[in-house]
Amino acid sequence: MASGPQQRNDAPPPPPADPRYQWSKTPTILGTRVKRLDGPDKVSGRAKYTFDVARPGMLYARIIRSPYPHARVVSVDLSGAQRVPGFKTALVYRDSADPKTNVVMYQGDEVAAVAADTEEHAIDAARAVKVEYEVLPYVVNVDAALAGQAPQVFPDGNVREGRGAEAGDLAAGFQAAAFTVEQKYETPVITHVCLESHGTVCEWDGDKLTAWVSTQGVNGMRENYASGLNIPHANVRVICQYMGGGFGSKTQLGAEGLICARLAKQAGAPVKLMLDRKEEHLVTGNRPSAAAHIKAGVSSDGIITAFDAQTWGTGGAGAPASFPLPYIYQIANRRRTHKDVFINTGTQRPMRAPGHPQGSFLMEVLMDELADKVKMDPVEFRIKNLPPEAPNAMWRSYLLEGADAFGWSKRHPTGDPAPGSIKTGMGVAICTWGGGGRGPSVAHCEIASDGSVVMRIGTQDIGTGERTLVAMVTADALGLQLSQVTAEIGDTQYGVSGSSGGSTTAASTTPGIRIAALKALDQLKEKVAPSLGVEPSALVAEKGRIFVQGTPSKGMSWADACKRIGTQPISTEADWQPGMSSVTTSGVQFAEVKVDIKTGIVRVTRVLAIQDCGLVLNQLTAESQCYGGIVGSLNFALFEDRILDRRTGQMVNPNMEWYLLAGMSDIPPIEIRLKNQPERGVIGVGEPPTVPTAAAVALAVRNATGATVRKLPLTPMTVLESLAQKA
Amino acid sequence: MKPFAYVNPADEKEAVAALSPEYEKVLPIGGGQDLLARMKDYITQPDRLVNVKNLDATVKPENGGLRIGAAMKMVDVAEHAGIGRLYPAIAAAAIEVGTPQIRNQGTVGGNINQRPRCWYFRNEEFVCYKKGGNRCFSPSGENQFHAILGGGPTYIVHPSSLAVPFVAYDATFRLLGPRGERMVKAADYFTMPTRENVERENVLEPNELLTHVILPAPGNVKTGHYEVRYKAAHDWPIAFATVILGMDGSTVGAARVVMGAVAPVPWRSKEAEQALIGKPITAESAAAAAEAALAKAEPLSQNAYKVQVAKTAVERAILQAAGLPIA
Amino acid sequence: MPKRPDEPGFSRRSFLKTVGAGGVAVGVLAKGTHLDAQAVHEVGPGAVPITLIINGQAHRLQLEPRVTLLDAVRMRAGLTGNKRGCDRGACGACTMLVDGRAVYSCSTLAIDVQGKQIRTVDGLASGGTLHPVQQAFCDKDALMCGFCTPGFVMASVALLEKHPNPTPEQIKKGLDGNICRCGTFSRIFEAVSSVKGVRRG
Repeated sequence: MASGPQQRNDAPPPPPADPRYQWSKTPTILGTRVKRLDGPDKVSGRAKYTFDVARPGMLYARIIRSPYPHARVVSVDLSGAQRVPGFKTALVYRDSADPKTNVVMYQGDEVAAVAADTEEHAIDAARAVKVEYEVLPYVVNVDAALAGQAPQVFPDGNVREGRGAEAGDLAAGFQAAAFTVEQKYETPVITHVCLESHGTVCEWDGDKLTAWVSTQGVNGMRENYASGLNIPHANVRVICQYMGGGFGSKTQLGAEGLICARLAKQAGAPVKLMLDRKEEHLVTGNRPSAAAHIKAGVSSDGIITAFDAQTWGTGGAGAPASFPLPYIYQIANRRRTHKDVFINTGTQRPMRAPGHPQGSFLMEVLMDELADKVKMDPVEFRIKNLPPEAPNAMWRSYLLEGADAFGWSKRHPTGDPAPGSIKTGMGVAICTWGGGGRGPSVAHCEIASDGSVVMRIGTQDIGTGERTLVAMVTADALGLQLSQVTAEIGDTQYGVSGSSGGSTTAASTTPGIRIAALKALDQLKEKVAPSLGVEPSALVAEKGRIFVQGTPSKGMSWADACKRIGTQPISTEADWQPGMSSVTTSGVQFAEVKVDIKTGIVRVTRVLAIQDCGLVLNQLTAESQCYGGIVGSLNFALFEDRILDRRTGQMVNPNMEWYLLAGMSDIPPIEIRLKNQPERGVIGVGEPPTVPTAAAVALAVRNATGATVRKLPLTPMTVLESLAQKA
Repeated sequence: MKPFAYVNPADEKEAVAALSPEYEKVLPIGGGQDLLARMKDYITQPDRLVNVKNLDATVKPENGGLRIGAAMKMVDVAEHAGIGRLYPAIAAAAIEVGTPQIRNQGTVGGNINQRPRCWYFRNEEFVCYKKGGNRCFSPSGENQFHAILGGGPTYIVHPSSLAVPFVAYDATFRLLGPRGERMVKAADYFTMPTRENVERENVLEPNELLTHVILPAPGNVKTGHYEVRYKAAHDWPIAFATVILGMDGSTVGAARVVMGAVAPVPWRSKEAEQALIGKPITAESAAAAAEAALAKAEPLSQNAYKVQVAKTAVERAILQAAGLPIA
Repeated sequence: MPKRPDEPGFSRRSFLKTVGAGGVAVGVLAKGTHLDAQAVHEVGPGAVPITLIINGQAHRLQLEPRVTLLDAVRMRAGLTGNKRGCDRGACGACTMLVDGRAVYSCSTLAIDVQGKQIRTVDGLASGGTLHPVQQAFCDKDALMCGFCTPGFVMASVALLEKHPNPTPEQIKKGLDGNICRCGTFSRIFEAVSSVKGVRRG
């Protein structure tokens, strides 16, 4: 896709929810600061991640991978592995005799696998497998591929033309421009670096498979296993109680998942296969690079009159590199062409707000360059070019509020005039993201005669606090304390729900949860009403009691009410319904930096984020999402870069030593202002805050130094080179 | 990791007896912070490890200076009052090493003898000079963190933070081998790569152990130590410098200027020292000395910026030594 | 042998293993064949008895000398609280306390810490009561996915046992050896700042 999603501020409002189930205007728990229920398990080490699962007789597996970016597997000799102490079983993933599968397309591509009694022995065995390769020509340099100077590796060419997009009259737009800017902007490939690696534990019982998977979607994994192993869907159970970060890379089952299941079948024993850090960098996905050559025109009164962009990026071996551009701002006359460039590296996967951090950076740096041309303040210039304000397009209000709160009026024009080598600057950038809910996402509620309440749904908690939300929404609907509700998630036995991707989990799960809870409450009211001599509809549930509306004394405790349930618990289920969730958020962020112009070192000193996400369910964990997104984007701004050796195509920094990520001393004070929009229903906030920080930081560096850095990350090398070019 | 045997010697003699005359066959393990990572990556595959973390880790006065046991932990170096008072650059270097966890484990001996952090050396795919191959990948590869001084044939930068102040303070290393001890000046310990001797970074024989660092009395000097790091948290320096100045009234009488992370050895710049001697310390003289320190720099394709960073480190270390503002 | 005619990087030594193609000696180091074993008391490379004192309890294990403290605790002693993120001493998820000091247990050999007091996150709470650091992490929402949390908690405990009233700078520097990919640093800082009354270790 050449052009990304455009603004949806003209989207029709969602159809009204069934009024019986609509979000309460007087919530008891929702919107408050609720500590996550599984916090104690996580801080004490009791929480069991896939990495922690141990099964009786469990074996450990390792994958043998290609060290070359492109090669034909000539032979695989497992005999050495078989002689290793503790060896149990092995498989060849790429049959050298099969021309359809015997070619590896990137460093880390799977070739074979082994399982042994201990992890050490599995590694020994993997290293004892002999693989003979015929190294094939490869392409690792995007510029060379674009210029047609690389070996043709991919069957339909190394470069795929995307769809172009054009609107208005570009020539007229440039004619109307008082100034133009023409520049190239770039962002690098970065990797997800989930702290828990990708991996699974697979255990067979006859022809039935139980798989513990570190995943963002238990139900998606079930489907992946069933189709990948060609076994009935009904024979697969996937469990993920806790998972150590996904950021988009754990929405699909990698080759390691199926390999683990096959080894377990062969060995007749449970097998654990967790990838190591190097494998994580090489094969479990990445954020594609993005680059744009943009020529844009601006009128003397600060309206962008024309925008002409040639864009490209690489998502690795045969995968696209999409991003929205122009991003958010309204430009009547525009044209964009796009090329996906294929190189011999691991392929991209969605990564936290796919496309948006890239589009934001490319666009926002251009915005400040244009603003300077017309000598206009960046906030004012942005406001001039925004789409009209709407509930899902609140940038103007947020920019004004943020500028005031951040002390934007103290911002100096481009280039800090202060003496000395430490320069201070401020930058601003904006974001949008869809989010929103969808079905199927079926919640099951049970109320038993002892008063216990279980809410069960086949979703998962990837660190967002979803488990806590399940309990909060249930307790809120039933007028109970949080502690009276048990939330059960992370297992395909709990039914169908979607993947935790696209900031959709809360919006997809909570409507069904609320409806299932209210339906269960309706049944409970029916059992209670006769003894109170009223119609069920006259009853309400609040503060752990069920009573006649308006007459709190005429009622009973929750426990007493539930005693009337009998031996068969109340059981209800409900799917997501439209009207309780909606799509598209808006946000703005301000950043302040100090730049040492003699070393090129950038330190971020302050960040302010204003972000909406519809109805705020848990203020505490929603804020955490914002902190996390900002830190992710700060890493994108300053540190992250997948570095390939330009000659061999092998990654030189597949670790956490040279693949840099911020530590505590790199984190500035961050202020979060969450905007509650209860009337819009639930939307989701996992992704939008990770969009604009990088651009805001880069623009703060520009404001500090007077040098425009058009390429991420903002390394000392890049910053010093930009300063030298300016001088 | 390849399986290996393990020896826990009672004393330094037993430790030395457990070593081997063959390189990489038997290795001492102190904190293991470098060694174990190298072994996990199959860069180093010893048959036997000899535990040296229980050998001498004390600090003792000696001839007005100090004698430091090589098993001393980095955290203890950083927090040792005597070291901080007499050799502030050593304490300053130690506190910036790695992370709290690394400083709690890593030893003085391990810091000095750790192997290069060059990413070609550290990745098994690249069979470089250091691993018995016949090339250095960095000149035509990804060299943003590589050497700007020294001219090859390998372009690693020496990874030790302590080595730089040790050279600046004119430390002597005590090496114990099968034939007894020998004393080697820190400046002579580290070796520049040559085609003939490209796999090692120092003169330590495979059956020798570095047991002590002996620091001479520092005399009446001013000290500066300045490190430039990309990340504020855990990261390797891009460049750093230790500067020691003996003042002759208001002018510099004697100077030591040593840079780290710029060359395959701790890089002493006599040019910078000459530029300082006889001059008062001012912003101008510091800048001139920094220029002199890097006059012979020969950056590779991607690391010209390091010349600027290293200059800044030298300049600021000089200013810091003189108590002048550094920004 | 790898067919790599375009690459000049061939080895002077045999370096077969660099292509994952054999060449590795596997658990077969014969004692004394190429090492002078005179008067040297060596153990391994096979499994040897190793006793670890973990959270005050002695665990008698049979381990090869190459087994790390982290792997011994997780896979042999069955205490899976501390995690492995990078396995190279960079992420901090494996942080344990050995004789009161925070260490990367992935970069520590189990055989090297016999007789020492090893504390893991599994033993930090006493009974049902969380350690004040653990409680602060819960209260301030100083965790998201939770995978780095055990390491951060242990690094924080080590910090607070050394500096019961740390300055902001001491907190930052004291926790610089740990990485949170979810980005909860601000809240961890807040949590550690709020903890009072940890006894000096």
